[in-house]
Amino acid sequence: MAEEKKVDYALVNRLVLKMLEPPTFGWYVLLGICLLSVGIGAFCWSRQILYGIGASGKSHPAMWGFYITTFVFWVGIAHSGTLISAVLYLYRAKFRMPIYRLAEAMTVFAVLTAGLFPVIHLGRPWFFYWLMPYPNQMALWPNFRSPLLWDVFAVSTYLTISATFFIVGLIPDIAVARDAAKTKFRKILYSICSLGWRGSYTQWKHYTSAYLLFAAFATPLVVSVHSVVSWDFAVSIVPGWHATIFPPYFVAGAIFSGVAMVITLIIPLRKVYGLEALVTEKHFDAMSKLILVTSGVVGYSYLTEFYSAWWSNNPFERYQFWFRPFGHYAWAFWIMFTCNVILPLLLWIKPLRTHIGFLFVLSIFINIGMWFERFNIILQSLSRDFLPAQWGGYNISWTDYGILFGSFGWFGMWMVIFIKFFPSVAITEIKEILPAPKRHGGGEDH
Amino acid sequence: MKGDKSKAVVGVFTYMDDLINAIKKVKDKSLDYRVYSPVPNHELEDVVYPQKSPVRFVTATGAVMGLCAGFALAILTSMDWPLRTSAKAINSIPAFVVVGYEWTILWGGLATLGALFFFCKIPSMFSAIGYDPRFSHDKFGLVVGCSGDTTGEVKELMISSGADEVEVRDGL
Repeated sequence: MAEEKKVDYALVNRLVLKMLEPPTFGWYVLLGICLLSVGIGAFCWSRQILYGIGASGKSHPAMWGFYITTFVFWVGIAHSGTLISAVLYLYRAKFRMPIYRLAEAMTVFAVLTAGLFPVIHLGRPWFFYWLMPYPNQMALWPNFRSPLLWDVFAVSTYLTISATFFIVGLIPDIAVARDAAKTKFRKILYSICSLGWRGSYTQWKHYTSAYLLFAAFATPLVVSVHSVVSWDFAVSIVPGWHATIFPPYFVAGAIFSGVAMVITLIIPLRKVYGLEALVTEKHFDAMSKLILVTSGVVGYSYLTEFYSAWWSNNPFERYQFWFRPFGHYAWAFWIMFTCNVILPLLLWIKPLRTHIGFLFVLSIFINIGMWFERFNIILQSLSRDFLPAQWGGYNISWTDYGILFGSFGWFGMWMVIFIKFFPSVAITEIKEILPAPKRHGGGEDH
Repeated sequence: MKGDKSKAVVGVFTYMDDLINAIKKVKDKSLDYRVYSPVPNHELEDVVYPQKSPVRFVTATGAVMGLCAGFALAILTSMDWPLRTSAKAINSIPAFVVVGYEWTILWGGLATLGALFFFCKIPSMFSAIGYDPRFSHDKFGLVVGCSGDTTGEVKELMISSGADEVEVRDGL
């Protein structure tokens, strides 16, 4: 890799640690915007708690609406962090190194955001803990045959393991920050967070072994979490949901949206902190190819759904898949199809795969398209159930919009704080792919 | 590697091959030593710690326990509160696979974390003897425990191997 030849250990330290310098005015403005949107979301939720769940747009039969759409969207965003950090680690894909830390942070913060939505969705959110299997005075247990309970196990395991993987990966880099800290506050903060890591070779030996095992454990999680989320739908009999294609379709869609979100986040970060030497065009080319592949899988899944509905000869399925592109919410379907299938086809043009401005805009369109994908699956299916007498719709309220907006602020707030206080580009792993400094014989590229 | 380790000779190296040479010489003399590196590296690993880490055994134990616990939780609680739905069996093993699967990963992951902390001896509040902040940045460190009489010999060994700096501190 030509770019890597110019980079040495000292330059990696300098570039990444520069990001931890005291916050600028722009950073405070960004944090302020995030906090403001969190405030708007919190206000809307508190109003919903005060007046009841009717403050949202829920109406029979579309009782899963904006909140579950947004839950699935954020779980999807969380997905590619683990893909980039764990799966690509097992495959020794070098292009993951400069981007995986940000992707992992995105995973953890996106799961934190996603986890809010099943609770917000509840009419009485203060009883959310009833989903946990614990001995209680009512002498009953949750139903382990329900996919909703599987979701509790899958998402909580995903959060725990992703957070552990993320924090373990951070430890040696925080030790680097500790040793370079200039203020007393940062020295104390990093000393605590690095857990006394010194980088002795015994530590590295156990660390690399444990890290590999974490990657091996996190990889089946990538497959399982969104498969389990898809079973929330596929295990039911609702037309448009009852499909065996859902697990791979959801997993591919999650990777697709997650990689798009990584691009959305890394492009401004690269520009602001001058990381062009670490995050090169080759990395964008690799991510673009990943988007192209997953967009293909998602597009194929969309078409397969239509084919399956036609082939099933089931009038309810057939009607549902007529309703989606031509019914009341046709606009949502076509936004989804354009953003997720048509626009990514432009990435077949090689120069566009490394055109930063184009990629940034495309990644935002994909994020929008993937939110609408979940909107279509959830809302369109529920709106047109079996009996025409119970057809209905979802009356989107400003409470819904406010909470959706707040979720982006919540996610953004954690990202903005993380980027300023912790190394958001992996120092140690970038050093690992550089040739080891040697007096004789150049060095070995690991 | 036993004996008087009242002194620690600390060598700072820029080049990995110099460090590896020094380690080999120290091993030949059967001296106690520690190596600090900003990155893990296979060549260094072969010289310093060629054995496999025992972390994997702890991981496997945790994972098997998680699998058993996941199934046990689902089966025992279903028997405690029998809720028959759609003529399905009270103990629907295929449905419980998800819980067993997730807990295999969860317990295996947490066991790995525990093993990592145990074997790496972290969290640690104590500063490591001979540690230098440069060892996390771009330098390699070799700290050798020896008696006061042999510090000169060890210093000479490090300098001849290519150490940038060598200094003597109190005990390893």
